[in-house]
Amino acid sequence: MYLVADIDVEICAAKSCKLCTQYCPEANTIQYSDELGKDKGFKYGSAYVAVDRCKGCAQCVWVCDNMAKNHAIKMIMIDQLPKAALTDNITYGEKSTTAVLVSPVVG
Amino acid sequence: MSLDYVKFSSGFEKFMPKEYRDMVEHGPFGKKISVSQMGSFKEVLEEHPMCAGCAMTLFIRLAMIAFPNPEDTITVGTAGCGRLAISQAAIPFVYGNYGDQNGVASGLSRGLRLRFGDKPKDVVVMAGDGGTADIGFQQVLHSWFRKERFTTIMLDNEVYGNTGGQESGMTNRGAVLKMAPLGKKFEKMDMVQMAKVAGCAYVATVVPNNPRRVESVIKKAVLIAREVGSTYIQAYTSCNIEYAIPTDKVMEDAKNVENDRYAFSEYISDEAKQYLTERYGYKEFLQKPAAPAAAIPNKA
Ligand SMILES: Cc1ncc(C[n+]2csc(CCOP(=O)(O)OP(=O)(O)O)c2C)c(N)n1
Ligand code: SF4
Ligand code: SF4
Ligand code: SF4
Repeated sequence: MYLVADIDVEICAAKSCKLCTQYCPEANTIQYSDELGKDKGFKYGSAYVAVDRCKGCAQCVWVCDNMAKNHAIKMIMIDQLPKAALTDNITYGEKSTTAVLVSPVVG
Repeated sequence: MSLDYVKFSSGFEKFMPKEYRDMVEHGPFGKKISVSQMGSFKEVLEEHPMCAGCAMTLFIRLAMIAFPNPEDTITVGTAGCGRLAISQAAIPFVYGNYGDQNGVASGLSRGLRLRFGDKPKDVVVMAGDGGTADIGFQQVLHSWFRKERFTTIMLDNEVYGNTGGQESGMTNRGAVLKMAPLGKKFEKMDMVQMAKVAGCAYVATVVPNNPRRVESVIKKAVLIAREVGSTYIQAYTSCNIEYAIPTDKVMEDAKNVENDRYAFSEYISDEAKQYLTERYGYKEFLQKPAAPAAAIPNKA
């Protein structure tokens, strides 16, 4: 098993700064959804991770902790993630993306 | 090389992989994309085998977002880590022999001008510090002295990363590496000064911990190379493997190195300033109007 980044929607949505997205070395990995967190009353959406592209470097954790000062990202063993976004389940919209969250470890 | 190469051939759409469909429908082609929109459009860079947390990877990612016309751009690379990612993008990539990249790019940019006339086709070289300052040095300098119109980007990780840690001309004096166990005996080469002496129209140093700045220097360098002359960007892109930087400290290292010895610098010739202003509407080089007398605080 290996570690991947996991973003807490409620903590992120309170800030929604998009910094982690700009600093993740991997392309198309930290995505942004305008919808996440809306059900909890947050207006500006949240970042989330396409875990099948994440290489587990934890740079996003440093960025969220030290630059955004928001502590929304933790590294978690991939089989411990309850639900995660996979590239196949992400659709692109005009200004944001939407992911159907699934259990990342199949079988 | 046009918007046509990122369309589906009729009848094939449903057979294309999701990544390809996303790229055609939600990629940056034919649109104005900026780093502030990252995470909401499909980037041209795909999965690749560069190490986890590599700052060079982040820089390449940002550079590809910054290309003003990705559909009309060709990248040129050479042996070294960067090509492992640069080649995995929806932008045509030419791989020269180690050190040949600026010679290849000279011919390519001239050929494209013959073929397409005034229609801009951008050639961007991205190569390591070894490829640029050691093995490709002669071709790099000659392309600059000849004012070849393309952009050269040095991915400066201050080591031969791809072959396990030999020193390069860009390694700092005293640095001890796996394959340089006694420490480097000579100073880091001043390629920025050489680029200016050789007549580059635009020369900048950057560190990837400021994505907007990376975007801005790449755009300027590519646009200036369309008409004015050679442009050079030297980017600090640490090798976390050979310099043993924990991956979650790569951005902290970038910040420290920027403050210590890799400060942002930008040189732009007067001709290039005028060109960016007149052709692309840049405002930053306009003469600031003299402050009206009334605005000067009266110290009496
Ligand atoms: C003519 C030739 N000599 C040697 C090599 C072996 N080689 C491959 S990559 C490399 C070093 C790359 O270092 P650098 O250009 O600094 O790029 P980095 O891997 O650090 O990004 C060498 C020596 C080669 N491919 N071709
Ligand atoms: S850096 Fe933190 S707060 Fe900002 S978007 Fe990323 S997870 Fe959310
Ligand atoms: S751990 Fe690294 S690869 Fe994974 S999302 Fe964070 S920055 Fe990106
Ligand atoms: S060896 Fe160094 S420069 Fe090459 S991909 Fe790995 S971390 Fe990056």
